[in-house]
Amino acid sequence: MIRGLYHRDTVGWLIAAAVLPVLAATVVEQGVPALERMGLTLVVVLVWQAVFLWVRAQPASATALVTAIAVGVLAPGDFAVWQIVLAVSFGTVIGEQIFGGWGRNIINVGVATLAFLYFAFPETLHEGAGPLVAAACIPGALLLLATGILAPAVLLASAVGAGVVTLGLDQNPVELVVNGSLVFGLVFLVCDPVASAATRGGRWVFGLLAGGLIALFAFADAGSDVPHAVVFAALLASLFAPLIDAAVIALSSSLRRRRHG
Amino acid sequence: MRIVARRGLTVSLAGAPIQEVGADPVASHVGVMGADYPVMRTELLVEEGQSVEPGTALFRDRNRPRIVVTSPVFGEVEQISIGHRRRLSALTIALGEDSGGEPIRFPPGQAATPAGLRTFLLESGLWPALRTRPFERIPDPDGVADALFITAIDTAPHAPDPRIVLADRAEDFARGVEALTLLTEGPLFVCQDSGPALLEGLPERVSLVRFAGAHPAGLVGTHIARLRPVDGQGTVWHIGYQDVAALGRALASGKLDPVRTIAISGPGLRSARLVRAPLGVDLHGLLRSEITAGAKRIISGPILSGRESRYLARYHQQVTVLDRVEPRRRHWLLGALRQAAAPAPFIPTQALEQSFGPNLPLVPLLRALSIEDAQTCERLGCKALAEEDLALASYASGGSTDFGARLRAVLDRIEEPA
Repeated sequence: MIRGLYHRDTVGWLIAAAVLPVLAATVVEQGVPALERMGLTLVVVLVWQAVFLWVRAQPASATALVTAIAVGVLAPGDFAVWQIVLAVSFGTVIGEQIFGGWGRNIINVGVATLAFLYFAFPETLHEGAGPLVAAACIPGALLLLATGILAPAVLLASAVGAGVVTLGLDQNPVELVVNGSLVFGLVFLVCDPVASAATRGGRWVFGLLAGGLIALFAFADAGSDVPHAVVFAALLASLFAPLIDAAVIALSSSLRRRRHG
Repeated sequence: MRIVARRGLTVSLAGAPIQEVGADPVASHVGVMGADYPVMRTELLVEEGQSVEPGTALFRDRNRPRIVVTSPVFGEVEQISIGHRRRLSALTIALGEDSGGEPIRFPPGQAATPAGLRTFLLESGLWPALRTRPFERIPDPDGVADALFITAIDTAPHAPDPRIVLADRAEDFARGVEALTLLTEGPLFVCQDSGPALLEGLPERVSLVRFAGAHPAGLVGTHIARLRPVDGQGTVWHIGYQDVAALGRALASGKLDPVRTIAISGPGLRSARLVRAPLGVDLHGLLRSEITAGAKRIISGPILSGRESRYLARYHQQVTVLDRVEPRRRHWLLGALRQAAAPAPFIPTQALEQSFGPNLPLVPLLRALSIEDAQTCERLGCKALAEEDLALASYASGGSTDFGARLRAVLDRIEEPA
């Protein structure tokens, strides 16, 4: 009978607000080129949102800002304008808009965009973001946890998964904590509430899988660096999320049936 | 037994009621709403202008004629309005004086056997107080319940405190609970808050379960999911505490007790408190001298799952009064940018997860409900739920989709072929 809390727009704006400190930190770390990249991405995403708003009455969302900053943080290489336009168009249209817009997508737009960039233009080299970006992610993560948007289970499980696999590979887990790309990817791409697993048990499995894959890709395979590792781990984990949910539902309903006859 | 519900949300709303029974405002009408008996094909037993008294049968179910709905008050049937598909829309009664004749009595002596108790409940019109899960319907007169839940806790925002309501009705309540043991061979659960026991000296098969936590810890759907889930098979019945107390009183006196204690609350009221009023009381009349100035919305039931209604609905224990806010007119382009015609998708936040009591996969269920996929909903256990169980989820997902209404549509589809 009353307009509720956590409307899609409210959640979108809260996530956009949480990502703002990272914007500032990225500009400080990488300078003006990062700002240009992010501005270009934002414009392309907004254009596609407007197109789908016009054609299919799909409301726009403020998470365009998250996509823009993801491209800023995780694709610091030297890209031509057309390359970014192409990748962002692919990411936002195929990753989100054709499913019905934010809330009905199965993978995060930033992840789709970056995976396209990495696959289509593998010659461009990337360096991971530094500790300033990592620190800038913390207030946003706290805000999202306090407002009940982020699932603590996913965040905790992915940190545990990453830590365990890092130790298993005989590497230093401190390297993960000070790596801005990794912390950003963990908080804003892996923990995206829409693209992560949606059942209670599934969230733990999803987090462990995503965190473990990040560490595995970052340390075990010499050919990939941290931005690649984060994006591919988030992509794989999101694709597995429906399977994880289906398994958890099947398991819990069979347990319940056994317990209650 | 004590169960702590770890999940739950507090909904803040101005105008919480003082938990004391205050001066009762006077109403002039009561109404029986067809919406409270959704599947019942009604057969009217009275006509406009006829005098009625507490216990006079007003209408019965054409398919299950033993189920009757009786008048709560003395008075005269003022208006009978028939809605679409010839179903009863509303029946209103203008309150009158006791004519002084011989009152309608329901001999309590017959209620000492299981069959006798059923007859007593059916004839007195108390039977519709019982409802079943799955499907949340009035049970068959010959139906079998695997368990019976007596809900003596209410965690909805601004709900009356059952402890206060039952303070001077402890004997009636105990008598009612004892009588209800005749209805089922299975266990009975009296669900209450974590305070002192509402019931001393439990009859056989009755167990007292304390639930602690925020809403929805007090919803019967949460209790059933914890104590006797019904998603696979089986049927449980449930009944509210005020109806149990009314049954207890009717068993003592042989006369129908139509008075309920309801909370009147909300930001649009002068003094929010508990009042006593008959079932189906005319809320406009009742609250005329109670509301503050300005246009209001009068909602029967809690703010989350209630509905705007002129008369108190059969199963509601509270009335919420809000200020009526007319939507602002805006330019069509701005409106289109703000909101699409189709409901916005919900974002599966952690807060949404907190809004649901039963241990079922909420987000997959809401996704299936969004597209009214009855098969998936059934597999995910939606049959054990009712509208009220999803009211908090509708609220915590922004309120652009009424998941309770979707659930009812899905349940109707599942129920139909049977």
